[in-house]
Amino acid sequence: MKLILTSLLLGLLAGFSASAAELNVYSHRHYDSDAVLFDRFTKETGIKVNVVKGSADQLIQRLISEGKNSPADVLLTVDAGRLHRAKEAGILQPVQSKKLRQNVPASMSDPQGHWYGMTVRARVLVYSKERVKPSELTTYEDLAKPSWRGRIAVRSSSNIYNQSLLASIIAANGPDKALSWAKAVRKNMVRAPRGSDRDQARAVAAGLADVAIMNTYYLGILANSEVAEDREVAKKVSVFFPNQKGRGAHVNVSGGGVTSSSKNKKEAIQFLEFLTSPKSQNTFGEQSYEYPVKIEANRSELLESWGPFKADKVNLSILGSKNSEAVKIFDRAGWE
Amino acid sequence: MISLLSSPKTLFRNLGREFRFKLNVWTLSALVLGLLVFIPMAEVLWQLTDPAENWEHLKETVLGRYLKDSLILVAGTVFLSVAAGVSCAWLVTCCEFPGRKLFEWALVLPLAVPTFIAAYAYFDLLDMLTPLLIWVRINVGPDEMIFLSDFLVYPVTALVMASVLYPYVYLLARASFSRQGGQMIEAAQTLGYNPKSIFFRVALPLARPSIVAGASLVIMETLNDYGAVKHFGLSTFTIGIFRTWFALNDMAGALRLAAMLMLFILFLLFLERILRSGAKFDEVKNAIRPFRRYRLSVGGSILAILCCLLPLAFGFIVPLSRLCLWAGATYEKILDSTFVNLVTNSLSLAACSSVLIVAFATFLAFVGRYYRSAGVHASNRLAILGYSVPGAVVAMGILLVAGQLNVTFDVLLTGSILTLILAYLIRFLAVAWQPIDSGMEKNCDRLNEASKSLKSSAISSLVKINLPLIRSSMWAAALLVFVDTMKELPLTLILRPTNFETLSTRTFDLTSQAQIPESSVPAICIILVVVFPVIWLNRKMEARR
Amino acid sequence: MSELLVVREISKTFDTGGCPAVDQVSFDCRKGEVLAIVGGSGSGKTTLLRIIAGLEIPDSGEIMLDGERINGQTNFLPPEKRDCTLVFQDFALFPNLTVWRNVTFGKGASEDPEGLEKLMAMAEISDLRDRYPDEISGGQQQRVALVRALATKPLLLLLDEPLSQLDPELRENVRRELLALLSESGVTTLFVSHDTEDALAMADKVVVLRDGKTEQMGTPTEAYRKPANSYVAKLFGKTNLLPADLVATGRHRFEDPEGGGELVSVRPGDWRVVDPAHDSDTPVLTGRVKSIHDRGGHREILLVGERFEVVARLPLGVESEVGDELSITC
Repeated sequence: MKLILTSLLLGLLAGFSASAAELNVYSHRHYDSDAVLFDRFTKETGIKVNVVKGSADQLIQRLISEGKNSPADVLLTVDAGRLHRAKEAGILQPVQSKKLRQNVPASMSDPQGHWYGMTVRARVLVYSKERVKPSELTTYEDLAKPSWRGRIAVRSSSNIYNQSLLASIIAANGPDKALSWAKAVRKNMVRAPRGSDRDQARAVAAGLADVAIMNTYYLGILANSEVAEDREVAKKVSVFFPNQKGRGAHVNVSGGGVTSSSKNKKEAIQFLEFLTSPKSQNTFGEQSYEYPVKIEANRSELLESWGPFKADKVNLSILGSKNSEAVKIFDRAGWE
Repeated sequence: MISLLSSPKTLFRNLGREFRFKLNVWTLSALVLGLLVFIPMAEVLWQLTDPAENWEHLKETVLGRYLKDSLILVAGTVFLSVAAGVSCAWLVTCCEFPGRKLFEWALVLPLAVPTFIAAYAYFDLLDMLTPLLIWVRINVGPDEMIFLSDFLVYPVTALVMASVLYPYVYLLARASFSRQGGQMIEAAQTLGYNPKSIFFRVALPLARPSIVAGASLVIMETLNDYGAVKHFGLSTFTIGIFRTWFALNDMAGALRLAAMLMLFILFLLFLERILRSGAKFDEVKNAIRPFRRYRLSVGGSILAILCCLLPLAFGFIVPLSRLCLWAGATYEKILDSTFVNLVTNSLSLAACSSVLIVAFATFLAFVGRYYRSAGVHASNRLAILGYSVPGAVVAMGILLVAGQLNVTFDVLLTGSILTLILAYLIRFLAVAWQPIDSGMEKNCDRLNEASKSLKSSAISSLVKINLPLIRSSMWAAALLVFVDTMKELPLTLILRPTNFETLSTRTFDLTSQAQIPESSVPAICIILVVVFPVIWLNRKMEARR
Repeated sequence: MSELLVVREISKTFDTGGCPAVDQVSFDCRKGEVLAIVGGSGSGKTTLLRIIAGLEIPDSGEIMLDGERINGQTNFLPPEKRDCTLVFQDFALFPNLTVWRNVTFGKGASEDPEGLEKLMAMAEISDLRDRYPDEISGGQQQRVALVRALATKPLLLLLDEPLSQLDPELRENVRRELLALLSESGVTTLFVSHDTEDALAMADKVVVLRDGKTEQMGTPTEAYRKPANSYVAKLFGKTNLLPADLVATGRHRFEDPEGGGELVSVRPGDWRVVDPAHDSDTPVLTGRVKSIHDRGGHREILLVGERFEVVARLPLGVESEVGDELSITC
């Protein structure tokens, strides 16, 4: 009995945690650049930012169980699929603002305004400079060919980035072709999916694989790492943007939205506007190697060095709506 | 308990007796509390009756893989753990060789290393095989290389897990050998058996119940693991649960997998009961006379030292050295003011949990024994099932219940430390209950009857008789819970409150951001905090012999 | 009614196995009496005692203590509420408490300090009050356990094998002391024993059990001299079981369940040697001495005849050798 009463009390107390001049942000992003930006926001507006970090899916699950009693104001996470899922789960509320419409292109945000993109990353082919000529690479679909047998390294299908890539392929080619593509690529993999994107690059550098599929910013992280071996890895590989003659390379966003339970809607919108403002966008380019939401506005040298590219213009909310289909196709293809 | 099921007539008679004569405040409270602890797990099991939308899909595509990977990994880990644990226990108990005394207690040290930290310490073990794989591709063919690369994951993962899980088998086998060692071995000696035959034909069969118990602990810990399996890329049931829940957003499907896993483990426990059932002779009560150990030859001694050194090196020395090296390079970055919070969070969480869980276990065990209530015995057995359930499943059960409470009573229960501690209660009650209950059985049952006959109250018996006599069991229970909560990962990951981090969650977070060297700092803290209770508990077990 | 304890048709079967441990046992016990329940192992005597104490629940039957029903179809008084106290075979002293704390542990034990002191003095444990149970001897432990039980001033005192933990040499003395203590305190006592010497020395009444059933009830002397069957006869010591026609018709006889006919129990000490030449009014048995055993104070011979083999006690003074012919009668 005492247990229930105490927990009731604690629960009520938890509900009172956010006062007027504070924002509770549930964020999956763990880059140092974020701390810099949050501090800058507090300096400019006086609103304190409390960050709860967690793994993206667990944050969403927690928001769902907390329901309307949740203390969270803003959810920041990576991948449009997740943002879509958060919207479907009812934990984000639609917001509109002129600044947000100015800062964020339409394809990079939810049509109803439940979430807005903040940064962009492309999922590209990273290849060994020694063993692969750029002319051998064309499209994602090409990787299904038998000539690539035992030469590809990709991470697990549990990872949302792969799911979004497959979602974009489903959108472009249909589910049946997507299934045969996934099956063939899995057969061409040098090993069962394991490790992070960076581990795939390391496999390429070590000679185990010739081509890896990974996100652009990881290359930036590798090239600027304090660890000498990582910098060596970055030197041995190169970036290739696929499907340039077709729909363009697959891109994704990290972004955020205002939670349904937020009691500080105005401040939360202010926060999102701040993160999508040009100044903040430049910080992303410099510090976390991510493209700004308006890719052309990029100022970072490193990103420039990878070359300009054509991006897939499909509305990113499709990455969310086709997400569960993508996961099921991965399951059927045996891609762990 | 078995008697409760012997025939319907006796069942009804016992039930009737239970209700008429044994219902009072104490037994009722114990029953309710025990059942409350069981409810989250019951909710998970109940999911089996709900149709899950994706179940057909899961069955056709991934269920087979989850089964296959789980079974292979479990088989490999158990095999290695039993081989290492039993051979070392035998050598250390029954043979004499230089360093024996050191190995006797040191072989327990890997218990201080959680499985996920072991995996991070060996994170590049598979990568080290890359040259081999490249050689195979060049000289044999890409298909063979792919096969080899897929195959190698199993033994490597099993090796890493077994290197820190073998102490479960080692401890139990050691206790068993030293209990029967004297009498049986001397008898066999006089009959002319040589050491090898004695080992295989006398000691091993007699130690079978302990070995089975140790193996089942290894199985449960293997199935519970999340960090190590994720790192090496195997698809066990726990991975499947997480994936179905988060990636497919199918809570129902995940719960179904969890329920299947629970059923599988219950089946294993049932098997274990059967395999152990010939075990009355395992509990030899008389004091053990020391017997003369076999003096090993020089060659034999070298082999023995190697045999003991290998698990110790794999499970403790190598991981700890690597972690220390990394920590030395990265500690300045990690040891900031928030780190102190981490340590105090972990310590206070573990300490509070220990106190609560030991009190709970003592109450349940006492009421069951004092009133000899079959009902309380049954509810106790249900309540301690939580240990066999992976932490992820317990967390899901709690979230289920909390979600329902949230909807009905509009109360936010998740995200508080209390919920986390309650989850620990469900998961670790068995750990405290075992030593306390067996301590009571050994020391207090008869005295409780005397106390009842002297018309003394239950409280009086509990406070004046039981508690003083089981003090050492309670300490052991508290330390065991402390160690387990410090090492816990999956449950804490899911249920931790806002901005509340522990050493283990920080370790995991750092590694999931690919900062493996930096993760060594909190990892080493865990090991350091846990190693002392482990050594102390080990000494206590030896002293009892 | 002066019956303090009334036990009516108590039965109990434990679930494992099928035979009842206690089968329709009934008896009474008067206030102030000392009643012994004897039987071999497995006879159910300890179970019966525990049922009376409230530590086991019987399947059927009822028990009344001082007019109050403590066990019945629909009620069961737990041990804490019964006015009887059980002293265990292994004494069950609380090892972490001193003798004094042990003795004052029970409910109401410290209400009469003078009486308690007297009790402790009688039991000669007054000097031991600050010692711990593992520091005193077995006999002292037993007395402590007794005083602890008596201190609660129960209506009924139950003892489970009170002397089995003691060395055999001490038993006779302890029986006497125990009896003195019990009669001083005047408490009604029920004890259980496998040693019929205890019953003969201490009990006013005895109940003999076999396989859960009562075989005989009565005074110990009755059970000794007039056993109801061969089991009881053999339980109370060495005896000869002979067909009834071999001995005087006045002797107590009982049915032989196996052979039909009647048997008589004659103790080795009941025989007297007679001169076959003189007439005797009681039947004489003549046979050859097969063996002689020296038993210290007397000699035991095995006399073998046509229809009998008899163990008889030879008083000192009667000379006899193996192979001699001898005539005895009883």
